[in-house]
Amino acid sequence: MRADLAQLSPRRRRAWLIGSAVGAALLVAALLLLRFEIRGRDATWAHIQQTGVWRVGMDPSFPPFENLDAATGRPVGFDVDLAQAIADSWGVRVEIVSIGFDQLVDAVDAKRIDSALSALPVFEERARDVSFSRPYFDAGLVLAAPRSAGISGPDDLAGRRVAAEWGSRGDAEARALKRRLAGGVTLVLRDSIPAALDAVLAGDADAALVDAVDLALYDRGQGRLVAVGQPVQSDPYVIIVPVDAPRLLAALDETLAALDADGVLGRLRTQWLEENRTE
Amino acid sequence: MTTKRNASVWPLLGLAVALLVLARSGRPWVEFDPPQQVVTLNPKLGVHTRLTDEVEPIKVQRTFRMVREMGAPWAVEYFLWAAHEPSPGVYDWSHADLVVDHAVNQGITLIARLGYVPEWARPAQATHLYLDEAGYDAFARFVAAFVGHFRGRVKYIVVWNEPNLSQEWGYRTPDPAGYTELLRRAYQAAKTANPDVRVLGGALAPTLAPAGSEWAFNDLDYLQGMYDAGAAPYFDLLAAHSYGWIFDPDEPPSADAVNYRRVELLRDVMVRNGDGAKHIIITEAGWNDHPRWTKAVRPAQRAAYTVRAYERALSQWPWVDAVCMWAFRYPRPAGTYQDYYTFVNEDFEPKPLYLTVQAYATGTLAGVDAR
Repeated sequence: MRADLAQLSPRRRRAWLIGSAVGAALLVAALLLLRFEIRGRDATWAHIQQTGVWRVGMDPSFPPFENLDAATGRPVGFDVDLAQAIADSWGVRVEIVSIGFDQLVDAVDAKRIDSALSALPVFEERARDVSFSRPYFDAGLVLAAPRSAGISGPDDLAGRRVAAEWGSRGDAEARALKRRLAGGVTLVLRDSIPAALDAVLAGDADAALVDAVDLALYDRGQGRLVAVGQPVQSDPYVIIVPVDAPRLLAALDETLAALDADGVLGRLRTQWLEENRTE
Repeated sequence: MTTKRNASVWPLLGLAVALLVLARSGRPWVEFDPPQQVVTLNPKLGVHTRLTDEVEPIKVQRTFRMVREMGAPWAVEYFLWAAHEPSPGVYDWSHADLVVDHAVNQGITLIARLGYVPEWARPAQATHLYLDEAGYDAFARFVAAFVGHFRGRVKYIVVWNEPNLSQEWGYRTPDPAGYTELLRRAYQAAKTANPDVRVLGGALAPTLAPAGSEWAFNDLDYLQGMYDAGAAPYFDLLAAHSYGWIFDPDEPPSADAVNYRRVELLRDVMVRNGDGAKHIIITEAGWNDHPRWTKAVRPAQRAAYTVRAYERALSQWPWVDAVCMWAFRYPRPAGTYQDYYTFVNEDFEPKPLYLTVQAYATGTLAGVDAR
């Protein structure tokens, strides 16, 4: 080839080199396009579009997010309504598949269901197998206090009384605070979460450590007690999809953002955490 | 000044060299305690640890130290075939040695649960719990290698976990005869490697799944299916899972309920099949105290139920050798109701449950004031 090139006139040689460069560039562009096309393929999303059914796994034992309705035996709750809202926006039918909690991630990984929506956190150790949507709820441990208490975070608790349910996560956190804060805290332990929150309202404690859902279910939107500051421990809930379902994941993220912006997530929160009594 | 600086450099240099030597040796950096013994009033008391993905030796040690200090002489731990045989016939026991040696050092009898299929032993798209019959001999060879390597240190192994769940059976239809064949090959391989090792079979998930369920196979029917397939000679003890859900530990057993005493129904199946002399080890059990999970109880109930459950095994179940509650600690929070099964949190903060069980095991329960 080198000998052939050498035999060409300078003009033809330049033309040959330019042609080769353009050809190489076109080849690279084609390969990149092919790569993006392969990466963008999503058999799960294609199947949902083709069948018009989105198969969603959940463990209906976790009110108010998913539970079996005592009268009908059908799953009801925040997550059920969220799944329905997402499916509606896609123009497909949602099929709820009841599966034990421990099996949900594997069921997605094995493509036995399209997604898992069941008050699930991000399982970082499974990131090779499944993908996680943007969070749609944070159920973390919060500090509950009256707005007038002058408490804006755990550091304000030094020398104060903190209520929690005996043996709960709030109890463990309160004991850790007792050791960490100069001046300590006084533990006010009760035998249930409502009793711990009652202690705050009764003036027997300055604040309580409970999770965000328990606080919402207790207060029912009355504003007597609020979550002050950032969650002490964050527990974001996400939707889980197969790792090779980028279009489904993108559609979920986009739809969750839209449902948040449209106030649908807020309405679900009000409906299931402040209005409905699921117990 | 220069001399002082040089003098202070030498110890640091020496420390750095020592650390390098230790790092290169592949040995754990933690000092083993002098050999310990568990002091307890209930020799059947146990827990299921979760050290599979605990990488820090000092946390492995601390786990077993706290298990011992709680008064538990038994622990179950999961050993991943995929981690310990990364390619066929090539074994890496480094993490397993760490776990086993610290358990032994603390005087704890370790029950090794074996499973989790390496990529080389399963089809590309299959889950890590999928193993068809073509892979049974490879698993049996791993079992033999494990038993041989840990001879004198690990006396009990559990073959597979909850094979009556579709998920745990690699999303194949749960099949008692198929599991019995796996158990047979694993048992024979284990006994060839060490005739003294005790092989546990079953480890069935308690489930009320209806017949023909896509997801699970009723545990009582499954155990009968194992006997029908000729499983009896291939397990020395039955491993049982005995969760309490919302029921107290004295709630009578019933085929249509999942409760702690459901293990008595498994025992009935064994007796009906002429296997009543065989004992049971409960390798998973317990109560959960999440505030909203419908199968959970309150923390104070959980503490009382757990102590009562240990006591029932000691005083009323001579055919149960140990009760290992799920789970002592997770290396990191799961962020779900699963976190409410543990005895201590991820940074070893003991929950009141731990203190209550410890008080029970040391005979000071009446005086304990966890509050």
